[in-house]
Amino acid sequence: MEFQLNADEIAFRDELRTFLKRELTLEVFAANRDHAEQGMWSEAFTKAFRRKLGAAGYIGMGWPAEYGGGGRSRIYQAIFWDEMEYHRAPGLDRTVTYVPNAVMAFGSESQKAALLPAMSRGELSWFVGYSEPEAGSDLANVKTKAVEDGDHFVITGQKAFSSDAHMADYGWVAVRTDPNSSRHKGLTMFIVDMKLPGVSISRHATLAGWTHHSVNFDNVRVPRSMMVGEKDQGWKVIMGAIDFERAALASPGLVDYQLDRLLAWSLEDPHGNGRPADDPLVRADLVDLAVEAEGARVMNYWLASLHARGLMPQHETSLTVLVKRETSRLMDSTAMNMLGLHAPLRAGDPHAALAGEVELEYRDHLYFQFAAGGFDITRNVIATRGLGLPR
Amino acid sequence: MDITLDEDQTLLHETALSFAQSALTPKRIRELETTPDGFDTGVWKEMAQMGWAGAPFPEIYGGAEVGPFELGLIVEALGQGALPSPLFSSVIEVGMLLLDAGSEDQKREWLPQIASGDAILTTAITEAGGGLSPQEIRARIEPTGNGFRIDGAKLFVRDAGAAKAIICLARAGNKPDELTLALVRTDAPGITRRRLDAAGGEALWEVRFENVTVDADAIVGQSGQAWPHVARLLLRGAAFKAAELVGIGKASLALTLDYAKTRIQFDKPIGSFQGVQHHCAEMFRDLEVSRLLAWQAAGSLGDGLAGAREVAIAKLKCSRAIPALTRTAHQIHGAIAYYRDYPLELFYHRAIAAQAAYGDAAHHRRVLAAMLTNDLPQFRGQGRHELPVHYF
Repeated sequence: MEFQLNADEIAFRDELRTFLKRELTLEVFAANRDHAEQGMWSEAFTKAFRRKLGAAGYIGMGWPAEYGGGGRSRIYQAIFWDEMEYHRAPGLDRTVTYVPNAVMAFGSESQKAALLPAMSRGELSWFVGYSEPEAGSDLANVKTKAVEDGDHFVITGQKAFSSDAHMADYGWVAVRTDPNSSRHKGLTMFIVDMKLPGVSISRHATLAGWTHHSVNFDNVRVPRSMMVGEKDQGWKVIMGAIDFERAALASPGLVDYQLDRLLAWSLEDPHGNGRPADDPLVRADLVDLAVEAEGARVMNYWLASLHARGLMPQHETSLTVLVKRETSRLMDSTAMNMLGLHAPLRAGDPHAALAGEVELEYRDHLYFQFAAGGFDITRNVIATRGLGLPR
Repeated sequence: MDITLDEDQTLLHETALSFAQSALTPKRIRELETTPDGFDTGVWKEMAQMGWAGAPFPEIYGGAEVGPFELGLIVEALGQGALPSPLFSSVIEVGMLLLDAGSEDQKREWLPQIASGDAILTTAITEAGGGLSPQEIRARIEPTGNGFRIDGAKLFVRDAGAAKAIICLARAGNKPDELTLALVRTDAPGITRRRLDAAGGEALWEVRFENVTVDADAIVGQSGQAWPHVARLLLRGAAFKAAELVGIGKASLALTLDYAKTRIQFDKPIGSFQGVQHHCAEMFRDLEVSRLLAWQAAGSLGDGLAGAREVAIAKLKCSRAIPALTRTAHQIHGAIAYYRDYPLELFYHRAIAAQAAYGDAAHHRRVLAAMLTNDLPQFRGQGRHELPVHYF
C-alpha cells in the first residue's frame, strides 16, 4: 500500500508538466483557438500536438514493447492522462487512450502492423462507431448492416453522436453482419478507412456551441482484412474495448483544474468587496468540493493500481468514472451558484467570470450525464455486475 | 503509488474480520451495551494474544510494531463486526499518547500492561462543551508541595469504568493552550464516574475530579505543554474513527445486499428493481470513496501533524456518508430492521456515535476551511499544481 508517487513517478510527472507548460502557453492557446467551435483548440493544432506527444514517446509509453511501446506501468499512463486533463491539453481522446489497447487486444497481426506504429507517432485520428439513432443506452440494438461480397463487406447505415468523426482517419465501427440476428449476436467490428467512397458526415450544433457529428455509410466497401476478430463475434470486442475506454474517462485532472480555478477566483478581490474565500459559507462549499476532488483522485489511482497489478477491474472502472463525472458536475453547479450575477455571462463578454469558462462547462459537461454510459446506466452496471443484484 | 493491499495486509484484514464477525453474537453485543464495561473482557484478552492490544507499540514494550495503516485495517474490521473493545481508549488514545509524550518509566510501566490486556487505560480530554479546542478545557491542575492537585469534570471519556488509570487534560495556566496531561489511577480518592446513556457501542463516561492528588511523576510530557500531544491524539482518533465508519458502512451494505437479493415482493427479489439497485449503487459509491480516503488517512499518519489534511478529509467524508448509508440501508429493509433483534440497528447507532467522535463533519470542515485561507498549499494537498492562470 502506497498512496504517494515514488521518486521515478514524480520525475516523470514533473518532466511531463514541464513539457505541457512549454508547449501550451497562453500565447499558443490564443493563436490556435477555433472561435467557430466555442474557442476550443483547433483541429490543426490538435493533430500537430498529438504528433508531438508521439514524438516525445508519451502515446506509446504504456504499450508493451512488442508493439514499440515503452512498457511503463498503468500508473504512468494515469499520470499522463491526469496531467493532460489538468493542463487542458488537446488530443486526449480515444485515439490515444483506448483504441490502441483495443487494436492490440483484438486486432489481427496485419492490422497491428499497419496501424500501431502510426498511432504511436500520433499520426492517426479515430472515431468510434457504436451509437446509432436507435442504439444509445441499448447498444445491442445496432442496425447498421454489413453484407459479405467476396473479399469485402458492404456497410450501409448511420452512426450517431460520433465525436470527432469529422477529423478521423479511421472508424472503429460495430455493424450487424447476420441479418437474421438480434441483440448481442450477429455483430462484427470493422476498422473503416474514412476516405472510402460512401462515407459522409453530418453536422449537429450542440448546446455547448461546438459541432458534433454523425456518420452515414452508403454501400461502403470495406476489405475483409479490416474485420476485427471473428465474424458475428463483435459483442465480445465491444465489451472488451469499453473496459479500456472507461479507464481513460476516470482521470481526475479536469476536476482538479475546476477546483483550482475556483480557488484562484475565491482568493482574488478585483472589486474591493472582499475575497470570496473569506466568506465562511463560500469556504465551506470550497471545502466540500476539495473533499470530493480528493475522492475522485484516490479512486482513479486505485483503479490504475488495480490495472498495474494485472487485475481486470470492470464495475470498479464504471464506478470511478461515475465518481469523476459526478464530482465534475458538482464543481460546475457549485461554481455557478457562487459566481452570482456574473455566472451566466458567456465567454467573450468582458465581465464574464473566469472568462466564461464555467458557464461554458456548465453546458458542455451535460454530456457526462449521458455519454459513454450515462449516470443511471452506470448505476445499473454497478448494481448488477458489481454488487450481484439480480437483473 | 500502489493503492492495493499486499499479501500481509490482506491476511491481517481477513484475520481481523473473521475474528470480529464471529467472536460474539449480535445478541451478546447488544447485551454488552448496557453493562458497565461495555465490552467482553475475555474477547479483549484474545485480541491481546493476537497482538492487537499492543499493535502499534515497539516490541520492547510488548507490542507488535504494526504501522498505522495496518492498525486502520484492524479497526475497520472491528467496525464491520460491531465488536466492542477498548482499542480506542487503551491503545489508540493512551498507548499512542504515551509513545508520543510519555517518559521511559511511564512507557515501561504501562505499555506492556496495555498490550497484554491486563490493564485498560483511557484519556479524559473533552468537557461539558464537547468541543476540541484548548480554550474549552476548564479542569485545573495546580502544584502542591510534592505533586499536583486536579479539579474538574470531564465528559465523553471512553471506558472509564474499566480503566485502571486515566490520563487527564487539565489547565495549568491562563494562556489558551497552557495545558497539562496527568496520569491518575482510578482508585485515587476524589474520582467519581457515571456512565452516559449514549447510542452506539462505546461505553462513554462522565468523570469528576475533586481534589485529586497525584505525584510529580504523574505528568505526561512537559507541564503546560500538552496541547501538541493532544492535537496528535485527536488526529489519530479521527483517522481511526474514519476507518471504523468504513467497517460500519461495509456491514450495512452487506446486510442490505443480502436482503435485497432474498426479499421477494411483487414476485421478484426487490434487488431486481432499479429503484433499489440505484440506492445500492449509491451506497457502494460513497462507501468506496470513504474507504479509500480513510485508507489514505491512516497511511498518512506519521511524525507531528503529518496527515492533518488527509485525516480531516477522510473524517469529514465518512462522518457524512456512512450515517447516510445506514439510513438508506434501513429504507431498503423497511419494517423488519426497525425491530431491535435485526442486526442493522447495531450499525445505524454505531455510525451516529462514530461520526461524532474526534470531531464531527462540521469540525473537520472548519479545519479544512482554515487551511484554505491560512495554509493554501496544505489545503491543496501534495502541491500537485500551482493555481492556474490559464485562460483568464
